[in-house]
Amino acid sequence: MFPNVDFVGNWKRWFIISGVLLSLGIIAMLLGRLDLGIDFQGGAQFTATSADRQLSEEEVRAALPPGIADESVVTTIGNNGYEVRTPVLSQAESQEVEGALSDALGAEVSATSVSPAFGEQLRNQALQAVAAALLIIVAFISVRFEFSFAIAAMAALVHDVLLTVGFYAIFGREVSLVTVVAVLTVLGYSLYDTIIIFDRIRENAPTVGYNRRRFDEMVNVSIRQVIRRSIYTSVFTLIPVTALLIFGESTLSDFAFALLVGILAGAYSSIFIAPQTLSLFKAWRAGSVRRARRTPRSA
Amino acid sequence: MGSPRNNLVILGAVVVLLGVAAYLIFLRQPVTESTQLGLDLQGGVSAQLRGSQTGGGTVSREEMEQASDVIRQRIDRLGVAEPDVRVQGQDQIVVQIPGVENPNEVIDIIGRTAQLGFYQVLATDGSPNTPTDEVDSVGKEIEGNLKDDQDFKPGKTKVIFEESPPIQGDGTDVFGYVVREQPDLTGEALQQNGANVEFDSNNKRVVSLQLTAEGGNQMADLTQEILNDAAVSGESAQMAIALDQDVQSAPVVNEVLSDQISISNNGLPDGLPEDEARQLETVLNTGALPVNMEIISQTTVGPTLGLSSLKSGLLAALLGFGLVLVLLVAIYRALGLVAALALLVYAFLMWGIVVAVPVTMTLPGIAGIVLSIGVAADANVVIFERIKEEVRRGRTSRAAIQAGYDRGFRAIIDGNITTLITAFILFALSTGSVRGFAVLLVIGVLLSVFTAVLVTRALLGLLSGRGVQLSPGMMGVSKGDVSTQRTAG
Repeated sequence: MFPNVDFVGNWKRWFIISGVLLSLGIIAMLLGRLDLGIDFQGGAQFTATSADRQLSEEEVRAALPPGIADESVVTTIGNNGYEVRTPVLSQAESQEVEGALSDALGAEVSATSVSPAFGEQLRNQALQAVAAALLIIVAFISVRFEFSFAIAAMAALVHDVLLTVGFYAIFGREVSLVTVVAVLTVLGYSLYDTIIIFDRIRENAPTVGYNRRRFDEMVNVSIRQVIRRSIYTSVFTLIPVTALLIFGESTLSDFAFALLVGILAGAYSSIFIAPQTLSLFKAWRAGSVRRARRTPRSA
Repeated sequence: MGSPRNNLVILGAVVVLLGVAAYLIFLRQPVTESTQLGLDLQGGVSAQLRGSQTGGGTVSREEMEQASDVIRQRIDRLGVAEPDVRVQGQDQIVVQIPGVENPNEVIDIIGRTAQLGFYQVLATDGSPNTPTDEVDSVGKEIEGNLKDDQDFKPGKTKVIFEESPPIQGDGTDVFGYVVREQPDLTGEALQQNGANVEFDSNNKRVVSLQLTAEGGNQMADLTQEILNDAAVSGESAQMAIALDQDVQSAPVVNEVLSDQISISNNGLPDGLPEDEARQLETVLNTGALPVNMEIISQTTVGPTLGLSSLKSGLLAALLGFGLVLVLLVAIYRALGLVAALALLVYAFLMWGIVVAVPVTMTLPGIAGIVLSIGVAADANVVIFERIKEEVRRGRTSRAAIQAGYDRGFRAIIDGNITTLITAFILFALSTGSVRGFAVLLVIGVLLSVFTAVLVTRALLGLLSGRGVQLSPGMMGVSKGDVSTQRTAG
């Protein structure tokens, strides 16, 4: 497939495409559009389901106890559901809100509350999990392949995570514990894609010494050999994920959104980022070795 | 390709496993009860509590175990079904209770330290019939007044409050009491199961407290001291009975009391409200928690929300599954049919494992399963693409299938190991429903290697053993492709 595309040679083009997308995400994050949910900040969230009365979001807010209403965010879910997010509440206040919502809407109210301290704990755990995953994966690839492959895989992974979080910021989706799970899953997934390509490069790699042109051409051939598989795999995974995105309730839908972005980013990075980084890193290292050899001679 | 005998062994094993799974899912119990649903799917309460020492010292594992026992007893006494109370990490307890009708009562009761204290009242101030929205500000005012009182000595005494419905009129009676920092008598004076809901002579509901013999003596000493001090100062003789920092009742002491005390509320026509009395009885009889407990997160899910989450999750899973099957057959024809069959086996065995372990099915769990369908299909895509590639190079279908499995297997193993790594990290660093996701992902990955690699290979081996030769067309490779690739490569 794609016999005429120079995947490795055109690396600048591919890097610019993801660079633009990454920048958009980072700008959105800098503008404070990343919406950390109550899992990470602390606070309370009430979900009213199967409401008997249809009220506007404003009317729902008006029904809340006076002091709490000003600081609450009300959103409508589906036909007869509402979600209300508030800052941290006491036990009594929380029961007041529940009562107010079920009275005003005639709905069943479910509630979640997280203390700020616990939110911080979750945030730290999440960051640890992602960091640990990255480190162990690099170690694993270094053992199974070689260090330069691990560097390239790492670049692809960081790219995927940033892109996923960036898109969360752009679309203003709520970052919750589930998002972290999704990001870790994306890590595993994207890596799977990358490893399939690396496996083929490993298989096709000549046993004789390194030559940049020959190596890059071999990488191109390897990509062409597996690109169809990469596309099919992404399609096969994205089908159930899209079903989740469309039919899932809020949690599942957020999860599916992260996976959708992450898997697309992963498919892209395994074809357009990881092999190119590998090629550039190899070339840079060969260059620096040559320079290192040359320097003492001229001195 | 495996030997004919191996193929038969594998397929035989599949048949046996399918039988076992069918028994577990459908026959052992009604199918609707076979799968354990998590709180987010069937409704219920979950809470996470963190223990701490009053002075800020570290909490021991033993204290947490004790605390979780006490919490379990409290929930048992409420009579709700199958609470799951577990100590987690150094200082946390996770409580999960499916399908509760009165979630707020449960939440109220589990986290209370429930340290019963009897105090001599040194000074008091109060505001009857306080309008509801002024309770907080009036409380602050009372606290300020009391801290100016001569009996208030910072570090040695503290101010505790009582909020109760008034004897007459509207609003709330708010009273503050200056008492010693430590209770003069604690809940240790209470006899085992000594708290009982009863009715007094005026037919008002009270919680009677039966003290131990020693506790009775101490109570006699305490009330004697209260009476003596009152006689000297001329103030009224009053005792405060507090649970943690909340005064439950502050009776005036008219005589020396011994081992019979009661907590009452004369303001209401029926005495203590029924649920409050029952809660008091429960927490007093199960004893105080050995450490302070703070609820750091809690979730209540209503049954309809749970049901609709379950429905939408299943709908998405089934739809995704169906489309994957169709696409497999559309792209890989005969090979795809074999893979689709293996995927059906996969889904059924997965269900069997979920029931057998049993894994509690949660919303993230459903997501994990849906995702693992993609993983399982992918293993076949890797192998089949390789087979098609070999066919295009002009190999016979038999040789191509052999090469596809041999070469594809290495990539699949490496790829799956990375997925397993992330799943294990998730499991190690997370709790609750996220763990459910990690467990299902691990099971899914391992099972998918079995069905997507071993089972499909055995099926294809069986076919070719029967003399069925797959033409390139049957594998989704067009004839033209084969020849051009051969001349090109």
